[in-house]
Amino acid sequence: MIFKIAWRNIGRNKKRTLITTLSVSAALFLIILMRSMQFGFYDNIIHSIVQSYSGYIQVHSNGYWEKQSLNNAMEIDDDLINKINSVDGVKNLTNRLQTFALVSKGEKSKGAIINGVEIEKEQLITDWNKKIIEGSQYFDSTDQIVLSKGIAEYFNTKIGDTLVLFGQGYQGMMAAGKYVANGIIDLKNPGLNKMTIFMDIKSAQDYISSDDIATHLIIDKEKYYNEKKIAENISNVISDDYEVMTWKEILPELDQMITADNVGGLIMAFILYVIVCFGMFGTVLMMTEERKYEFGVLLSIGMSKIKLYLIILLETIMLSSIGVIIGIILTRPISLYFNKNPIHMDSFGEGLSDAMGEFGFDPIIPFSINWDIPISHAIFIFCVSILISIYPAIRIFSLNPIKSMKQ
Amino acid sequence: MIQTEKLNKIYKQGKLKVKAVNNVNLKISDGEFTAIVGPSGSGKTTLLNCIGGLDKPTNGKVTIDGEVISSYPSNKMIKFRLNNIGFVFQAYNLIPVLSAKENIEMIMLMQGYDKQEREQRSNDLLNEVGMGNMSKRRPAQLSGGQQQRVAVARALASKPKFILADEPTANLDSISTAKLLDIMSRLNKQENITFIFSSHDQRVIDRARRVITLEDGKIITDKKK
Ligand SMILES: Nc1ncnc2c1ncn2[C@@H]1O[C@H](COP(=O)(O)OP(=O)(O)OP(=O)(O)O)[C@@H](O)[C@H]1O
Ligand SMILES: [Mg+2]
Repeated sequence: MIFKIAWRNIGRNKKRTLITTLSVSAALFLIILMRSMQFGFYDNIIHSIVQSYSGYIQVHSNGYWEKQSLNNAMEIDDDLINKINSVDGVKNLTNRLQTFALVSKGEKSKGAIINGVEIEKEQLITDWNKKIIEGSQYFDSTDQIVLSKGIAEYFNTKIGDTLVLFGQGYQGMMAAGKYVANGIIDLKNPGLNKMTIFMDIKSAQDYISSDDIATHLIIDKEKYYNEKKIAENISNVISDDYEVMTWKEILPELDQMITADNVGGLIMAFILYVIVCFGMFGTVLMMTEERKYEFGVLLSIGMSKIKLYLIILLETIMLSSIGVIIGIILTRPISLYFNKNPIHMDSFGEGLSDAMGEFGFDPIIPFSINWDIPISHAIFIFCVSILISIYPAIRIFSLNPIKSMKQ
Repeated sequence: MIQTEKLNKIYKQGKLKVKAVNNVNLKISDGEFTAIVGPSGSGKTTLLNCIGGLDKPTNGKVTIDGEVISSYPSNKMIKFRLNNIGFVFQAYNLIPVLSAKENIEMIMLMQGYDKQEREQRSNDLLNEVGMGNMSKRRPAQLSGGQQQRVAVARALASKPKFILADEPTANLDSISTAKLLDIMSRLNKQENITFIFSSHDQRVIDRARRVITLEDGKIITDKKK
């Protein structure tokens, strides 16, 4: 019966109910779309940079990040690997040996980064097989390499072509060699695509003339684990000879950009929420004040104040819930559409996509379709409506039936 | 039985004190059909409110069947009203979003009657007040007189000890007034239900079997017919 009364009261002033619920759904509509866009954007960044290249956590020999030289490389042993693997939340890890080289073919030459990788383990982190656009991801012999798309284009390379790599080896030695292109990979990351060459880590070690060394340990985490926690735990189990860094430390500009953007979104959401709050509060205020006489009658004939409050609380919750449901229903198809058909950043103005390319990721925004977004905001509005109903609660619990029935 | 002893209700307005009810001693037995009359401002509403526990007397006490209700805390009083007193007000008695029948059922729901019993009794009561064929209508679809008849039915629904009605006919025309009074007096005679009502209207006063006249909060006459 309380439910029935509340529901019908909602329908009593249809215009007001419509305006209130629409304002809730309009705000929620904007908030959900904005957040879906933002989180989709971050996911895209994190996916194209962190998840598929830099890893959530990296371990280097102490000082490597400051001075990225082979002289600061580390020796990898099973003990170290086992210790890191024992940390909760560590999913996969792989070694890389990274060094700079000059690549040349015919008349042309270009600087590049050589990445010696453990292909089987690398695959688990970076999903290579999906990114190979020509040839094979595997290294059948020690002189085979995989080129990133940009380098392949620059040298106009076909599978089977030979390239010369030339650079500095371990401890001042010279490094040079001839290598055959065995595959071309699209790293989905403009920055990396321009300058990355992969070879087997053993080949890379040969190239620089040193066995068993690596420069990076790339660590992938289990979903929902916090990378900072894992990094701390890794630091605790391994010796001080290593530095443990999260992707936020490795790519601080990226982290700052995301944080700044995210804060901007939260401020926008906050402003919209304030507007919604006032709108809803105004409605609840009117609903309470205009029914004082009715409340007086109900109290007189013996309805308890708690029941009376429950009616108003239910009305408030219904009002906001209708708005929330409409908001979610309206945003869902839009989020789904833009998830499948991401917005290209060029539509936000020339140059922006280049700037994003500089950062090293595709200038597209696939919307996030994570239910966390609408649900968290729905819960927030639910809490707001309960908070708002404090006002009628105070009115009702201090209500005197005689006074309220005197017009 | 309802009894008031040295009942006083004093309103302070600035330095002015208004004795809205002034030392009223009153006994009302079961089955009475009593009108409280008097000029405007004589304290009729205030007296009824004190008897119905809607208002607390400044001093003196109200006793209903031996229970001193004037000292009940407000939550206990709300519950007491639900189970013991039926109210009919001058106007706007009914919940606008509920139908006539639902208005009656609501009281019984609050008291914990089961569905079948609510159904049966609300139908009976609506028939009793001649509203059986309009049970589905909302208050806005009923005339003032019809609304008051539903209000009487609702007041009866909780099987109260007595019904208090403050100027129940003030907003009604003479035909509706006559109808409502017919119903009330029939319920009083046949079902032995106690009615206490206030009124200005001579035609209403003529129907009462006991007339208590107030002036400045004091009982000046108390006549039984
Ligand atoms: N809340 C209040 N504050 C101050 N004075 C009040 C209050 N309520 C009633 N009074 C005063 O108490 C006296 C009795 O009022 P009451 O409403 O009981 O009269 P009444 O007989 O019901 O009048 P009417 O026939 O006009 O309804 C009046 O003088 C009125 O001004
Ligand atoms: Mg009055």
